[in-house]
Amino acid sequence: MVNLIRSVNYSHHYAAMAATFCPSLPQHFKPSPIIKFPRSSFSFKVFSSQSSADETPTRVGFLGLGIMGSPMALNLIKAGCDVTVWNRTKSKCDPLIDLGAKYKPSPAEVAASCDVTFAMLADPESALVVACGEDGAASGMSPGKGYVDVSTVDGPTSKLISGQIKETGALFLEAPVSGSKKPAEDGQLIFLTAGDISLYEKVASYLDIMGKSRFYLGDVGNGAAMKLVVNMIMGSMMTSFAEGLLLSEKVGLDPSVVVEVISQGAISAPMFSLKGPSMVQSKYPTAFPLKHQQKDMRLALSLAESVSQSTPIAAAANELYKVAKSHGLSDSDFSAVIEALKVKSKD
Amino acid sequence: MEEIGFLGMGIMGKAMALNLLRHGFKVSVWNRTLSKCDELKEHGASVVESPAAVIKKCKYTIGMLSDPPAALSVVFDKDGILEEICSGKGYIDMSTVDAETSSKISEAVIKKGGRFLEAPVSGSKKPAEDGQLVILSAGEKGLYDEILPAFDVLGKKSFFLGEVGNGAKMKLVVNMIMGSMMNAFSEGLVLADKSGLSSKTLLDVLDLAAIANPMFKMKGPSMIQNNYSPAFPLKHQQKDMRLAIALGDENAVSMPVAAAANEAFKKARSTGLGDLDFSAVYEIFKVTEPST
Repeated sequence: MVNLIRSVNYSHHYAAMAATFCPSLPQHFKPSPIIKFPRSSFSFKVFSSQSSADETPTRVGFLGLGIMGSPMALNLIKAGCDVTVWNRTKSKCDPLIDLGAKYKPSPAEVAASCDVTFAMLADPESALVVACGEDGAASGMSPGKGYVDVSTVDGPTSKLISGQIKETGALFLEAPVSGSKKPAEDGQLIFLTAGDISLYEKVASYLDIMGKSRFYLGDVGNGAAMKLVVNMIMGSMMTSFAEGLLLSEKVGLDPSVVVEVISQGAISAPMFSLKGPSMVQSKYPTAFPLKHQQKDMRLALSLAESVSQSTPIAAAANELYKVAKSHGLSDSDFSAVIEALKVKSKD
Repeated sequence: MEEIGFLGMGIMGKAMALNLLRHGFKVSVWNRTLSKCDELKEHGASVVESPAAVIKKCKYTIGMLSDPPAALSVVFDKDGILEEICSGKGYIDMSTVDAETSSKISEAVIKKGGRFLEAPVSGSKKPAEDGQLVILSAGEKGLYDEILPAFDVLGKKSFFLGEVGNGAKMKLVVNMIMGSMMNAFSEGLVLADKSGLSSKTLLDVLDLAAIANPMFKMKGPSMIQNNYSPAFPLKHQQKDMRLAIALGDENAVSMPVAAAANEAFKKARSTGLGDLDFSAVYEIFKVTEPST
């Protein structure tokens, strides 16, 4: 299986044309040798949700309206898509219903009334329950339909969900994203997909509404793995940054100047420039909850273990996220991990 | 501007001195191994036989040595700068050293009536060649103002950070973060590969993400081809990690990730990778097949 993936080396990289309509957005895409142009032209605001074969617009379901799901579903609605939503806490659906979304009281009913259903849940447990639990999406799936799980989960969970969905005759695509709250709002997510390529092609235009680029990585499990690798690096980078900021402060430097110096050099990253200033002020407005970053570290370590790889850096970083959680910072932005390094005075 | 003296024609010193020459500065150079000065001579530099002789000749002298022992040596040894430093002459040490070494040099220079500026840089070989260094200076503000025309050629941005020691500390903090990042990057590349993913695709994804940075972009492609031609030797990166951790130790600052990263660099050095680019730490994270 591993060798098959390597030889196919499936990866599509498509720079979202939508980005050109919004000059204020960062131009992160790079020109790719494979550039696919949409078969039907569309403007960013008015979208005719046609797949090239169908005549009727695709009915799109969206399960999970949290920090990420809400803005993602909103972007689909704004683009003119036919959207039906569900969330465990119904009140989160109201703003979207006000803007024209339909509502169904269970994942099963959403799936049954839609052609393609997206799911954006917080963790493997909720992704599994929403897909395969009682009144779960799988109960509403059937041949001709598709399920796109945008949650970040481990490979085994994704394969489990895939199995249940495909048993109904429907298609499955895992599609975790890189990017947090603001990229979700701005339609600048990066989709790391794997699974049924025909479903990938069918939903490509929706991914392009919600995101700036998309990758197709082969068999189910590859998208999940890629996401975990990226977030493992990110989690370690954030802790390294936090260590540096704290050290600088303790030795009499101005941490704001550290942020500025870093922004000028080889390790300048958007994440540092974005979060550095608030970290220096001990503020951690939540774009990506610390508990989810720790979940991703944990899953990444588990992935590393499954392939017998030693990951001392990630392991050390994970400990810091755990400490931060124990200090009650689960719902703060993951940059709050810097607090785990600070000395707490005993009361 | 006045003629500038330059001590140390290694990877960085050579590129920086050539850059000054290209921009019309008069430069006198010295290196412990004199043959390293030949190329500079071809480009119009004067070659001088000792640090003391360089100081005697020039109003401003820059030092670019590889580590604290070398930096101290050009100052305190026989024919070192202390033998000729005097009122009106300035020494600008652009080596990366610990704050204590820098303070020691500063005190000795000032005691003899000289002026001192520490000015370690962020950036390696290519930024040095292209005049794109980030200069982190501290010490005498007046000397900083006078040497700025040279800094503007050598770098894209200069900082003045206050008292001696602050430049050294800033450099160590930045390089500590960089060393940890290179380790995190290496762990990720290996995990991607072992999970059956394409390393090249991981690089493409990273380049689009919030964690995209020039270092990953520049080094990633050569790392996955096992190409580690040195822009920044691993032994120097490990030296910087060590000095940063010592700084943390002195101030009781917890830095578990940096500590783990330092271990990887130590291991890399012990397996003979010290003279390769610091990205060669990647090799440490790859699992070697047990020999049968």
